[in-house]
Amino acid sequence: MIKKIKASLFEKLIFIFLILLAIFALSFTIVINNKCLFVKNFDPRKIEFTEPENVVVINAECGNVIIELYPEVSPKAVMRFKNLIKSNSYDDVAFHRVIKDKLVQAGDLEFGKKDKLDYAKIGTGKSGLGTIKSEIDAEFYFKKGSVGLARSLKYNTEDSQFFIILDDEPLFEGEYTPIGRVVYGIKVLEKIKYSHRSEYVLRPDFINTIRMYQ
Amino acid sequence: MRIFKVFLLSFILIVPVKANTIYNLIKIPNLEIYRLKTSNDLKYFYAERPFKLGVQKNINCTNSNKKNYDEKYEIISKNLNRYSKNFLKKINLKYIVMCEDLTISGINTAGIPDHVMKTLIIDLKFNKKYFERVIHHELFHVINDGFKDLFNENEWKKFNEKNFKYSECSTCSKKLGLDTYQNTNGFFTEYSKTIPSEDMAEVFSHLIKNRYQDTNDNILNQKVKFIKDKLKKIDNTFKF
Repeated sequence: MIKKIKASLFEKLIFIFLILLAIFALSFTIVINNKCLFVKNFDPRKIEFTEPENVVVINAECGNVIIELYPEVSPKAVMRFKNLIKSNSYDDVAFHRVIKDKLVQAGDLEFGKKDKLDYAKIGTGKSGLGTIKSEIDAEFYFKKGSVGLARSLKYNTEDSQFFIILDDEPLFEGEYTPIGRVVYGIKVLEKIKYSHRSEYVLRPDFINTIRMYQ
Repeated sequence: MRIFKVFLLSFILIVPVKANTIYNLIKIPNLEIYRLKTSNDLKYFYAERPFKLGVQKNINCTNSNKKNYDEKYEIISKNLNRYSKNFLKKINLKYIVMCEDLTISGINTAGIPDHVMKTLIIDLKFNKKYFERVIHHELFHVINDGFKDLFNENEWKKFNEKNFKYSECSTCSKKLGLDTYQNTNGFFTEYSKTIPSEDMAEVFSHLIKNRYQDTNDNILNQKVKFIKDKLKKIDNTFKF
């Protein structure tokens, strides 16, 4: 005959404590793994812009990054950027070069697309539209959030790749073509995946979409 | 192809992140900003620690002390301030790197110009007597590297006497004297006789430092005219 043993109050308390601990640990793990948890996602429709025709919305994993373009500073570069956005060329393109708290770079349309990512060549791809001239003569302060077109070591080699700086970079003045500045959502960029070992990221984060606001 | 990709990938993983804007811009490690805001937009850096450059790491330079950096910065900037922002942009010079005991393959040198990286490295320990003039000498190499066709060496060689021959290279010769000749005889210094580009750089630096007085030296007069004419072609507002 099996004798029923009743759990004591102390044992019941320990059991409840263990269950609570497990729930806490599980939820804590979920919270920790969700890098976007404390990142505010800005809805551009709820914001008023003075020049809506120059507003760009990048949608990434943690939300929207809203950029204001400056065609008066770099007309050709801004036009190139807008044209590529209008043709949805930047969709599913990797943030292939990320330096923590310094910059994120994306826009390799040839080797950075999600479906044909080429780690050996990423960062060297072209848009097929040819290069454009550097526009570096206008005064522009490369403050945190500034957006510029990337180039090779030589001037006048800008194409489709762009970078956004996550810190002030006065040395970029006169070096790179500025195209705009992040007005909302810089935190989204700070959450982009980076590597401690290299500027180039394995299994990088991707741009979901880039669209003109208007 | 796959093996090649794996190799590249492993290389990417091994290379540490150098989150240093100066390094990213001019590919010289261990530098810090000395001054960014200058009248002609030149940016000055100093070596915080020794650095090595080149594929074979044959270019070496060490750091100096604050006092020396401060003193030499005053001299260097005073000399380089005579070049306008517009001119510097045309010749592609933007960054000045200050360090000590600059050597290439163990041979001391006053400066290393890098036209592509827009950089001029200057050895702060270089002989005080010639230090200021040498700044302009090295700057000329930046100009020359950017306008090779303009400063045609064959054209230049014709100015010299027929039996004169330059050395094979600037360090292949023992003619290293930088004292200005009393009797020039076609050359400002002994070092001018090494190779045409050094000869041109010596003429340029003497012109800048006002060490040239019109003489009966016909060869030197032709060389001076050549340098002046070519500089005018680069920037017609340029004044010696």
